[in-house]
Amino acid sequence: MNNPAISIDLTDIDTELSQQSPQEIIRYALENHDNIAISFSGAEDVVLIDMAHKIRPDIQVFSLDTGRLHAETYRFIEQVRNHYGINIDVVMPEAARVEKLVVEKGLFSFYEDDHKECCGIRKIVPLRKQLLTVDAWITGQRKDQSPGTRAAVPVIQDDKAFARPDDKLTKFNPLANWTSEQVWDYIRSNNVPFNELHDRGFKSIGCEPCTRPTGPGQHEREGRWWWEEATKKECGLHAVNISK
Amino acid sequence: MVKKIFADGAPCKKCAEVEAKMREAGQLERLDQVIVADEADPQSAGMLLAAKYGVDRAPFFVVERAGQPPEVFTVYFQFIKKVLNATTTEDEELEEIMNDNPDLDFI
Repeated sequence: MNNPAISIDLTDIDTELSQQSPQEIIRYALENHDNIAISFSGAEDVVLIDMAHKIRPDIQVFSLDTGRLHAETYRFIEQVRNHYGINIDVVMPEAARVEKLVVEKGLFSFYEDDHKECCGIRKIVPLRKQLLTVDAWITGQRKDQSPGTRAAVPVIQDDKAFARPDDKLTKFNPLANWTSEQVWDYIRSNNVPFNELHDRGFKSIGCEPCTRPTGPGQHEREGRWWWEEATKKECGLHAVNISK
Repeated sequence: MVKKIFADGAPCKKCAEVEAKMREAGQLERLDQVIVADEADPQSAGMLLAAKYGVDRAPFFVVERAGQPPEVFTVYFQFIKKVLNATTTEDEELEEIMNDNPDLDFI
């Protein structure tokens, strides 16, 4: 559901927030939403926690534990929990759904089909359940992570996919306009802890079977689901300038 | 319902799938109008509606009720559940979420 008036307002706010720093965007998000949580993937989006913790020390954070993360990522989540003295809500998939998938298709069906079914069960179902409990959420999505699927990531958006029925859910992407380099400058200059996998060539970190290190010159997207063809977003509405 | 045609004249895959599903379920006849958003023609009725309501994906649904502001749905399963009182399975909803939100890959 979408209230047109609210969408227009968010577009205006997005335009304004896009000119601001991630810290200012996070401050705006926290000042406007009490029941808000950071989605932490166990990678360089740890900068969100560092920034938010300086504004609201008891910031809500959750991580989706798919059951297939690297051991290093589990250790890192624990390190972050201790470093900031925060609770991280580790959200797990429904056992029955995972069991059904594994019984029917085995443990590595994503190499044969594609990753969507597994991601749906291990990430999207628990994410959906978790987002029913909040009014707003914050992600580390950046435009430069995937030119194909994230080129248009706004700073603030009306999240229609995960909103409670007849309710609103606001999604903030404070790092949308930052580059990977800016994120890493922040991590180094603020002594933010980071996942040790980054030191071993992993630019993007997800589940262990679906993530690999990338070499110099390779885009971080090439480290994820490399056996699949890059997909293009099909349902966006893009007016084409046909006048010559 | 507003459905999309690509600038090269090809139909939007999801729009075609949704239309086929609705036809099969007998829901298509409950729509007052099916309007085309032609990416090659920014002045086409569907493109103008998309601009008016700030919608950036297709298909989408505009519900008008007397005395109330129009409601816009960009998520098919939410539209058929709320407006057409239809039921959907969680798997169908997940599939739509995954297909419509490829940016969720990295969450």
